[in-house]
This record gives sequence, structure tokens and C-alpha cells, in this order.
Amino acid sequence: MSSMRTSRLRAATSHSMLALLSLISVFPVYWMIASSFRRPQDLYDQSLLPWPLSVGNYRQVFDSLDVVGLLGNTLVIAVVTAAGQLVICLLAAYAFAAWDFRGRTVLFMAFVATWLIPFQVTMISNYLVLSNLGLLNTLAGVIVPNLCSALAVLMLRQHMQAFPRELLDAARIDGRGSWTTLWTVVVPNLRPALASLSILLFISAWNEYFWPALVLQRANSVVQLGIRGFLTAEGDDWGAVMAASGLACLPVFALYLVMQRQVIDAFVRSGLR
Amino acid sequence: MFQIVFVEVAYSGALRVPGAGGGAVTVPARPVEALRPPLARRAVAALPPYLYLLPGLACLAVWTYKPVIEAVQLSFYHWNLLPTSPRTYVGFENYKRVFTLPQLRGAAKNTLWYILGLIPFAIILPTAIALGIRNLGGRSRTTYRALIFLPMLMAPVATAAVWRWLLDPQGIVNHALGLGSYNWLREERTALLAILAICAWQILGFATLVISAGLTGISADYAEAAEMDGASRWQVTRWVTLPLLRSTLLFMLLMTVLLSAQWTFPLLDILTQGGPADSTTNVYYLLWEYGFRSLDSGLASAAGISFFAVFAVVAALLVKLADRYSFADN
Repeated sequence: MSSMRTSRLRAATSHSMLALLSLISVFPVYWMIASSFRRPQDLYDQSLLPWPLSVGNYRQVFDSLDVVGLLGNTLVIAVVTAAGQLVICLLAAYAFAAWDFRGRTVLFMAFVATWLIPFQVTMISNYLVLSNLGLLNTLAGVIVPNLCSALAVLMLRQHMQAFPRELLDAARIDGRGSWTTLWTVVVPNLRPALASLSILLFISAWNEYFWPALVLQRANSVVQLGIRGFLTAEGDDWGAVMAASGLACLPVFALYLVMQRQVIDAFVRSGLR
Repeated sequence: MFQIVFVEVAYSGALRVPGAGGGAVTVPARPVEALRPPLARRAVAALPPYLYLLPGLACLAVWTYKPVIEAVQLSFYHWNLLPTSPRTYVGFENYKRVFTLPQLRGAAKNTLWYILGLIPFAIILPTAIALGIRNLGGRSRTTYRALIFLPMLMAPVATAAVWRWLLDPQGIVNHALGLGSYNWLREERTALLAILAICAWQILGFATLVISAGLTGISADYAEAAEMDGASRWQVTRWVTLPLLRSTLLFMLLMTVLLSAQWTFPLLDILTQGGPADSTTNVYYLLWEYGFRSLDSGLASAAGISFFAVFAVVAALLVKLADRYSFADN
């Protein structure tokens, strides 16, 4: 009887801990959305529910920022970066998983070590290279230097090593080349892993701040810089700033709503190893 | 061009089979192949993995390793990044400045504060929460997970904007605390704390989920065995669960040490620009300012190399320490 009571007490404690934590996590997001739907004259009224609702802030954002262009540019960067990383790292992981070759360990370490090298050490000379190539202020300048992801190689290699060797051997006996084997045997079997990895890469690229801020100095390029410009220019027009921030989060949040489990799993797995 | 390379890959990939499978059964079908000198054939057979690695390695070489070497070179020069102006060799002058500039010392101290301040939110609190909630099951758990994880997905600029509004003199935080119009981000006393709090808010949920996942990976048998032997719940946690969780905790610690300065970067850039009076700046933010505001590329490179070296040594020490403790435990 008493053990049942303690276990119920324990469950209640867990629930209240988690409820508090959830509240802390969600409140700023809620406040962003709530503030963005307030009428401009109600902004400083701190009631928890915004009422009456208004889309005036959004109208102002659409009037002063090229929202569609910003979101479009960001989308292009995020999709192309994620797709490029996926293909390049898939090939590399395949090499590490399917062959024993001279220099394998050293080359693998060369990939892993990039995780340790801070971006700030390489930024100056990469900046100069882009400027020599005339790629500053272009979307390509944001994408190209980020096409290899150590994380993707690590995760894909892990998945491929768990892949049954017999299937590879069978394909080989069929006389299929390694290139055909990769696309007809390995990739179809890795589909769930590739899907969750591509979500992770897409979200990371969408939320990337540092490199786009350096390469694209114009505020009207990607959504992150658009808001930053807006924040400096409009200063205390919080309703509009919150509306713009909400728009910047919208695609990722929408993806999260639909594929919540895959998103969390991908992130958590990237943090486990 | 890629197309051609890959056709060759497929071809040589198939070639490798006879060598590996033993017996040159398929090779005689092509007499030309058989006449090739064995060395060349072996070289072709060894080629495929390197060809698959080529695009990735090329990216690493061009965008990571070459720049690191160039940063080392730059760190011995004085140059303002303009192609027309000369580079002057200054020896170790830049490194001397790195270790004597008071501004850099302040930034290093702040970085240390960020690391120490984030450890409770990246490791201690998440471990406590993960232990507390591990017996919760089913739907409520999924909902909590989804909510807790939300901050991690928010775009950094949006995070910064929202918190600037929350912490605004007329914002809800002051309103709730009854503080009048206190400006958290403009006061030297609280600016660093505010940045720390925002960063903690971002990583707490993520850390909790990572540690929860680490806990699920531990077999329940050990804890059950210990409980049979009469160990209390706390004893099981302290002597069985936590040691088994060590690699997850170490990973979070490494992330915190190596990445604190990166996590705080966008917040600094958008919210405080390192101020007021350099009270929030960290090593990487200062480095960025040296490089792209003062255009002092030599000093920025020397500082980058120095910090990288320090972080690498700390990381290596941590890993080594963990190794030693794991031996003591077993």
C-alpha cells in the first residue's frame, strides 16, 4: 500500500517537474506568437491572452520586408546545403563502411577532426577565397564551403556498418558494381536514416547564422539577416519584430509539427556517441 | 565530368571482386585485362574507396585544412586584409599581444564563466530531470519531449529577438518581477547573466533528451541486481546508474566546454555586441571583431590558433581523465 503511494507520489513529482520545464521552454515561443497578434496599441499590455487579435503587425512586416524573397533564399540555401551534404557524405561513409583500404583510419580522423576545428579559425581565409572567386553576397558563397559535414559522415557510417554484409556480397556476386550496389541496395535500405539525417541537416542549415552573416552583408538576403536588420531599424516596434521572428521559425516549426518524432530522434542521436 | 568518374568507379568496383573472392574466374572473359601488369591492376582495384572519398576530402582540404594552414601563416604577419596593402612579417609579435591584451584576458574570463555557468544546465539539471522522469510512460512523455525540445529548433535570431523583448525594460520579465524598467542587457552586472540564461534555456531540453536517451540505453538488469542486494534507490543511482551513464555525461561535458563560446555567439552579436564595456564578450566574438571590424587579420589568426590549441588540450585532458576513471570503476 505504501509503496503504491510512494510510486504515485513519484509520478506526481515527475509530472510537475516536466510541466514546469515545458512551461519554461514554451513560454517565450508563446509570447512571440501572442505579441505578434496583438494590436499595436495593446503591445505593452501584459495580459497573457492577446485580445482582440490583429494581423496588423504581419501586414507591416510584409510591407517593409521582402518576406517571400527572404524565405525563398533561405529555403534554397537550406535545401541545397542539406542535399549536397547528404550526397557527399553518403559517398564518403560508403567508402569507410564497405572497404578496407590503406589510410582508412587517418582519413576518417581527418573527417572527425573538423568537428573540433572552430569556424573562427578558418573564416578569414575562406572569406578571402570567396572574395577572390567573386562569391561574396551570393547564395553559392554560403552553400559551397559547407558541403561536407563530419556529423553526417559519422552517422551514415554508423548506419552502414550495422547493414548486413550478406546483402552487399549478394549484390557483388550478381556482378553489380559498387556504384549500382550503393544506389540499388544500400540507399533503399537506409531510407529512414537518410530521412532523419536530412531533416537534421536542413534545420541546421536553415538556422545557420554565422556564415551567412559574414558572406551576405545585405539585410535583404536571408531571413535571419532580415530580422537582424529589422531589429536594428525598427528597434522597439516589438509587435512587428515578433511577427518577423515567427515567420522565420514557421517552416521549421511546421516540419516539427508533422515529423516531431524523427526530428527529435535525429537531434538526440547526433548528441549520442 | 562526374558522370565519367563514376562509370569508372562502378567498373573498377566490379573488377575488385575476382581478387577478393579468390580465383580469377571472371577475368579471362576479357583477355586484355589479363595481360595488364598486376601492379597496375591492383592499383585500379584499390581505387574505388578513394574515388568515393574524393568529393568529401576535396571539401575538407579546400575549406578546412588549407584555411587552418593559412591561419597559422597569417598569425606571423601584420596585414589589414586589403589586397593592395603589404603583409609585414612580425614573428611572434601577434602571439605576444594575444597573451598580454587585457581585452582578451577579459574575454577568456567571460568564456570560462559561460562554460561554468552552462554546466548545470547542460549536465547536472538534465541528469536530475532525466532520472526523475525515466519511469513516466506513454503519451504524456511524448508530449513533454515535444515541448521541451522546442527552443533548440528556434532560429538564433528569433531567439535573440524574443528574449530582447522579454527582457525589455517594459517587458514581461520586469513586469512579473516588479522591477520597474530595469535594462538587463545594458547593465554590466546582469548582461552576462542574461546571455547565460538565454543559452541555458536553449540547451536544457536538448540535454535532457540526450541524457534520457543515454539512460534508456542502460540495461535495467544492473539496477535490479543491486536492488536485490538491498541497495536503496539513491545508492543504485549513485553507484550503478551514473557510472554507466558516464560516456553520455562526458560527451555533454565536452560539448559544453568546446561549444559554449559558439552557442553564445549569435546572442552576443545580436543582443549586446560584446558590451556593455566588454562585459559579455567571449573569445570567439572578440576574434571576429579583430578580424572583420579592426581588420587585424594577424592578431585574429594568432588568437584563433591559440584558443583552438587551448580547447584541444582541455578536450584531450577530459577524455584522458574519463578513461582513467573508467578503469578505476571497473
